[in-house]
Amino acid sequence: MAQVIVVTSGKGGVGKTTTSAAFATGLAQRGKKTVVIDFDVGLRNLDLIMGVERRVVFDIVNVIQGEARLNQALIRDKRVDTLAILPASQTRDKDALTREGVSTIIEELSADFDYILCDSPAGIEKGALLALYFADQAIVVTNPEVSSVRDSDRILGVLQSKSKRAEEKKDKVKEHLLVTRYDPNRVERGEMLKLEDVREILAIPLLGVVPENESVLKASNTGTPVIMDTESVAGQAYKDAVGRFLGEDLPHRFLEPDKKPGLFRRLFGGRAA
Amino acid sequence: MERAASDAARPRNPFARHGRSESALSSQTLPEAFRLRAGNFNLLVLRLLDPRPDAVLPALGDQFRRAPGFLRFAPIVIGLADLEAAPEEVDFRGLVEGLHKLEIVPIGTSGGTQAMKQAAQTAGLPPLRAVGGAETEPAAPPPEAVAAAAPPPPPAEAVPRPDFLGSGRAAMLVTEPVRSGQRIYAQGADLIVTATVNAGAEIIADGNIHVYGALRGRAVAGAADDATARIFALNFDPELVAIAGYYAVREGLGDAPIGKPTQVRLEGEEMRFAPLG
Repeated sequence: MAQVIVVTSGKGGVGKTTTSAAFATGLAQRGKKTVVIDFDVGLRNLDLIMGVERRVVFDIVNVIQGEARLNQALIRDKRVDTLAILPASQTRDKDALTREGVSTIIEELSADFDYILCDSPAGIEKGALLALYFADQAIVVTNPEVSSVRDSDRILGVLQSKSKRAEEKKDKVKEHLLVTRYDPNRVERGEMLKLEDVREILAIPLLGVVPENESVLKASNTGTPVIMDTESVAGQAYKDAVGRFLGEDLPHRFLEPDKKPGLFRRLFGGRAA
Repeated sequence: MERAASDAARPRNPFARHGRSESALSSQTLPEAFRLRAGNFNLLVLRLLDPRPDAVLPALGDQFRRAPGFLRFAPIVIGLADLEAAPEEVDFRGLVEGLHKLEIVPIGTSGGTQAMKQAAQTAGLPPLRAVGGAETEPAAPPPEAVAAAAPPPPPAEAVPRPDFLGSGRAAMLVTEPVRSGQRIYAQGADLIVTATVNAGAEIIADGNIHVYGALRGRAVAGAADDATARIFALNFDPELVAIAGYYAVREGLGDAPIGKPTQVRLEGEEMRFAPLG
């Protein structure tokens, strides 16, 4: 049986899709058969971040409405052969997703894959609820910022009450905290919440901290999951997080602010860009 | 209003004495259709001081409006012990009707004279017997007073500590963080939370509230109008606190010890914040 993992946050723009793409790719690079599903019907983005937007023929709504078979809609990644993408529809209404339809798709994918990642839309409406409904595990993506933390807190409550596991009174969904866009320099200046504060409020195990990094934007624009950029700190942070997810004990990195500029640079006006 | 444990069936009840009485009651051949079990409940007692429904109902309606929703369809016991009136002076039918209109469900009576009980029974209010023969006070009064007034403990039960008598209230225990958007109500009970209560969450108890973590959301104690209820928090950082309908929002907390272990209680109409420990 495949493990169903929802990538969720409540708030928009915190890095759910970036995380879904990076994480799915990371798992697949480790040899796990992985499929990532875009649940953001109407605002699909995952195919762009994954660089497969020109190969989309059918999407999840076509499959649910019986207009295409699942295999026709699945896009096999050209870089990692254990990775597949099920895109969302850009033109349909969110109501086209039904619980029965999604259930059938997940059941069918379960036979062929080890991990099914569900990239949730923002909010706590139908699309987000469907994305988390079948989850065994949840990666809660949070920015070190008050409104993001509160929305994550809200979505954790929803996971505990509205997921299939909660409804069937099974073991609760396993929750992981992933803090993204973390900038230790701004934390030090008091402009961002400290990692400890975020952890204290949300009180779930920390999977990783991804630093704010320009490589993420570059990766999005070129359609390459940032985890493939092994030089970048964000790519390395995602790689660590995938390792921890698979049970490895890795220290958290990129939590300290940059070194203060030396006397020489301060004297001669070396301005940090 | 006070709280009392109603006794559906306590030691003298034949059903409760034998552990397996339900199997003796059910048929041998047919599949089991029901089970009779003893149960203890915490109920609100509406102690009547005035026999006229016209006097009781409007005041009651006012009080319930201050805590809207909390008591909707809550079962209530009519306390007759304090009523100084003849049975025929009390309009039980009118009272029952009026209570139903307020969305309160009277289920029986407690205390009162034999004649009074009978008068109530004709209006569909059977007499209930409080556990130990007396209603308990809503919160612990000074120990000496209670020890003197307390009934002898029922036989074969653990002897209650004298300093704990009078607070026969159950407690609801929450061990997981209470998250934004979640709402927990401990009806007729104290509420103990051993984790944090996050901003945007709401915890409500008819009794006291204890938070052994940070209290960052809203806490409403004494929701059934118990002004003696208190709120305790290890890290006091709430959005709002309320006791028996009196409330203070964060802005009005003034010099409360924010971020510190704190106790909140009501003194008259004033909310008091005191550091704990």
